[in-house]
Amino acid sequence: MNPSVEALRRIATSPATIGTYALLVVPFALGWFETQLFSPLALPGYLLFSIGTAIGNALAPRFEFWIYWAPFLVGCFGIASAVGAGYEWWCGRRSA
Amino acid sequence: MRRRTILAAGGVVVGSVTAGLASRLPTAHRSLSAARRPGDAGEASTNAEPLLPGTDHETTLYEIDAPRDGPTAMVFGGVHGDERSGIVVARQVAEWRPDAGTLVVVPETNRVAVENGEREGVDGDLNRHFPADREPLTDLARGIWDAVERYDPDVVLDLHRSLGIRGLHREFVGQAVYHSPDARGEELAAALDDAVPWYLPFHRFAASETNLSGPLLFQKAARELGASAYLFETTEFLLDREARVELTRLAAAHVLDMHGLLDAEGER
Repeated sequence: MNPSVEALRRIATSPATIGTYALLVVPFALGWFETQLFSPLALPGYLLFSIGTAIGNALAPRFEFWIYWAPFLVGCFGIASAVGAGYEWWCGRRSA
Repeated sequence: MRRRTILAAGGVVVGSVTAGLASRLPTAHRSLSAARRPGDAGEASTNAEPLLPGTDHETTLYEIDAPRDGPTAMVFGGVHGDERSGIVVARQVAEWRPDAGTLVVVPETNRVAVENGEREGVDGDLNRHFPADREPLTDLARGIWDAVERYDPDVVLDLHRSLGIRGLHREFVGQAVYHSPDARGEELAAALDDAVPWYLPFHRFAASETNLSGPLLFQKAARELGASAYLFETTEFLLDREARVELTRLAAAHVLDMHGLLDAEGER
């Protein structure tokens, strides 16, 4: 396999990537499903989603807020991948 | 997928569910308890009468007289027919038992709009039909205003909900208390914030003193009758129906408490 593709696959499936993604999305999704289930763990996802909707609403006021789930999920994966890349780089340095 | 990856994901999910369940908020509140229980002075008496009888707009007004003298408060729900939390709570308020004064409730102010589940009724937005220095613009608005003038309330509370959050989303006004200059909007917003967890910072309530020259029902009541008037707005943004109803119920209880209709501090 191409080394760069292999590196991307490793980052995408890194425990740091998956863990960060789950941390950003799952607590927030729980609270979105039922308000009473919001917890302090939902704060990062809450801030990302709220600020995202504020920007989106300023640019395109006619969209309903559920539309912003798509960019939210993609954005969270971007952040999680950055964390995963850092984690893989740190693991590589440690084992070198 | 490697075992440590599955463990990391599983750990976050389990931790999130646990944290969510552990941080469920208590809903009991002194003002609400006082609103629901009859006071020591005896039972309040309730009277229901039709407003605009025999017309398409016919709706029910509830008058609840407490055993002790006190101020008169009017609570309106359903000025906008699709704002269900205000309607649900106004119906509940019609069954509350004030300790003093008179509580007047119109749960479905714009009944046609409520039945259609739409913001506006047949004549447009009812909450723009109460201009300054003029008669209300429509039959419905005049019928509502006649009742307001007849009771000459000391306090008026109009219950609404918005789609977004004031200051975060352009043109939306959620999680806010609009109030007349002599009303206690800051105090109400602060009391409501006790029910908003610190980890939902955008959902904290803002108090905003209203310009009394506008055409809204609560503005006309403040302007022409000198009432302490409030317009309450919760939000649909990230709040489910139960949470919106709870916040609206708290707002109604706090207003009645602050203005002396409930004795939340008294011994029961």
